[in-house]
Amino acid sequence: MKTSVRKLAAAVGASVALIAAGHAGAEIRIGIAGPMTGPVAQYGDMQFSGARMAIERINAAGGVMGEQLVGVEVDDVCDPKQAVTVANRLVNQGVQYVVGHLCSSSTQPASDIYEDEGILMITPASTSPQITQRGYELLFRTIGLDSMQGPVAGNFIVNQSPNRVAVIHDKQQYGEGIATAVRDTLRGAGVEVAMFEGITAGDKDFSSLVTKIKQANVDFVYYGGYHPELGLILRQARQADVSSRFMGPEGVGNKDINTIAGEAAEGLLVTLPPSFDEKEENQDLVAAFAAKGEDTSGPFVLTSYAAVQLIADGIEQAGSKDPFEVAKALRAGTFETPIGNVQFDQAGDMESFEFVVYEWHSDGSKTPVN
Amino acid sequence: MQDLLYFSQQLINGLTIGSTYALIAIGYTMVYGIIGMINFAHGEIYMIGAYTALIAITGLATLGIAWLPLVLIVALICAMIVSSSMGWAVERVAYRPVRGRHRLIPLISAIGMSIFLQNYVHLAQGSRNVGFPALIDGSFRFGSSEGFQLSLSYMQITIFITTLVCMTALSLFISRSRIGRACRAVSQDLGMANLLGIDTNRIISATFVIGAALAAVAGLLLGMYYGSVDPLFGFIAGLKAFTAAVLGGIGSIPGAMLGGLILGVAESMTSGYLSGEYKDVVAFGLLILILLFKPTGLLGKPEVEKI
Repeated sequence: MKTSVRKLAAAVGASVALIAAGHAGAEIRIGIAGPMTGPVAQYGDMQFSGARMAIERINAAGGVMGEQLVGVEVDDVCDPKQAVTVANRLVNQGVQYVVGHLCSSSTQPASDIYEDEGILMITPASTSPQITQRGYELLFRTIGLDSMQGPVAGNFIVNQSPNRVAVIHDKQQYGEGIATAVRDTLRGAGVEVAMFEGITAGDKDFSSLVTKIKQANVDFVYYGGYHPELGLILRQARQADVSSRFMGPEGVGNKDINTIAGEAAEGLLVTLPPSFDEKEENQDLVAAFAAKGEDTSGPFVLTSYAAVQLIADGIEQAGSKDPFEVAKALRAGTFETPIGNVQFDQAGDMESFEFVVYEWHSDGSKTPVN
Repeated sequence: MQDLLYFSQQLINGLTIGSTYALIAIGYTMVYGIIGMINFAHGEIYMIGAYTALIAITGLATLGIAWLPLVLIVALICAMIVSSSMGWAVERVAYRPVRGRHRLIPLISAIGMSIFLQNYVHLAQGSRNVGFPALIDGSFRFGSSEGFQLSLSYMQITIFITTLVCMTALSLFISRSRIGRACRAVSQDLGMANLLGIDTNRIISATFVIGAALAAVAGLLLGMYYGSVDPLFGFIAGLKAFTAAVLGGIGSIPGAMLGGLILGVAESMTSGYLSGEYKDVVAFGLLILILLFKPTGLLGKPEVEKI
């Protein structure tokens, strides 16, 4: 009995010492916020794996200003309420930099907290234009905007010269934002938008919608939203013999759409960031991911990697760990990252970001469409 | 001609979804009819039924068994057994200990159970959508006008027929069998039934088991119809089925069927003729209207004050 008490005391003492060392020692904590659970958790996986790899490699190369990076991972379930909760948790833990969040509707409320608390945030995935339109000083992103992606999709559809197009969205910030951008591009080019309609995210039954699409006799359907709903729409549309071509943003472009839609996913068009993992200069990095058994083909893996790297480079460049100084340094410089040379504008968006149209196949692969 | 076809197609869509609402609504209405509580965990029982069916189908596929009737029957039986035991266990664990207390206590216990089951499946099965194989594929096509063709899929027919069979069987069971008669007696007066020698605990358990078995049938059917399941699968369906039960008159079995069908058709007509965005507005607006003019629901009997 006595020995076990003594052991316990020793263990407690040791862990206190460890915690103390953790605080006193040199480390830079980076919050990584995204969905680990919930319907879009697979995008979170991309984000986490990219960020972890960046932290690992930067640490292996000696860290930032001699200090090691430590990732603090939190799960926001892609739910705005949960995003606020985890943002507050990161604040309490004294985190000064955040990579995240993923969903625009989570990023927006969380960014209010980070800005107030002087935390620098880089979202590797949120594409809603509104996020960076509020004049925030500490907010950046390493992904393009819906207002860039929408016109790419819209112009692509215009070039297919369809007669009538239906534009559907999930009424969420991301989906509706991008669908609106597509609709405006189409209208601007004189293409008839026969339907512009919202569905409820989480719904399963789209038979009425599919019937409506069929009756409207459209040859092209654009969907703004995520894959769980589009997967079901595709499947139900195929069962009802709808022959229209479907297209969606990067939110639908992942392999889970194949498990839901099956054969019906064949021929789906998706706008995605270019495959950074196919670039020559990234092959080392891709091999490092492959060595860990991780896939780099997801759209947010390397954008997250770049986000962590930018924080590190920003700190080095500013010569200070103060987030405001780092933000200034990020706005001033040009940084070489796996997603190309990054240069930020005043709002915190990248000066240029390219989107490419891919054709999706029923085995989960994709080929670029010219 | 096209308008008529379009209308019929939306009607078919609505009746299909409505009949599955009805299947789930039975669980709510029977439990309410007998012990006067709302079993919020019922939607989760339905979701678990869908998952069990999927696991059974996948299991059979790995064994190389692909004969459709066998696969369906095995999946159905597995789903019904697992869901029914869940229904039974939920009642035993979460409701029986608090039965007879203030009305709010079982209600909160039910909400807790629902959250527990949802998160349990989250942990056990992962949060991703899982694809459900389309076992019954293909459809009948009728009339064609300006490129629009009415289609009635085999799956929809299966849903109609199964619902019809289940409902008829249930009605016969309630009106003819011994347990059914005991159910009716318990629902009229629990205390008196107890005095007359009916094992009311057993009857209440039976109610949960029957409701859960029907939910499992709905789980298998809807899983196949939609093509994917996720742990939140039961939540919206449960909410809609509960609405259907209230609409038709909670506590009344024919009411649940009627309520389900009306709700399904109202939803599909709204998204067909107005916009999908107004689907839920109309569905719940309808509920409020009916409750305003007929507080007991369409077929509900006014509660007689027992003295």
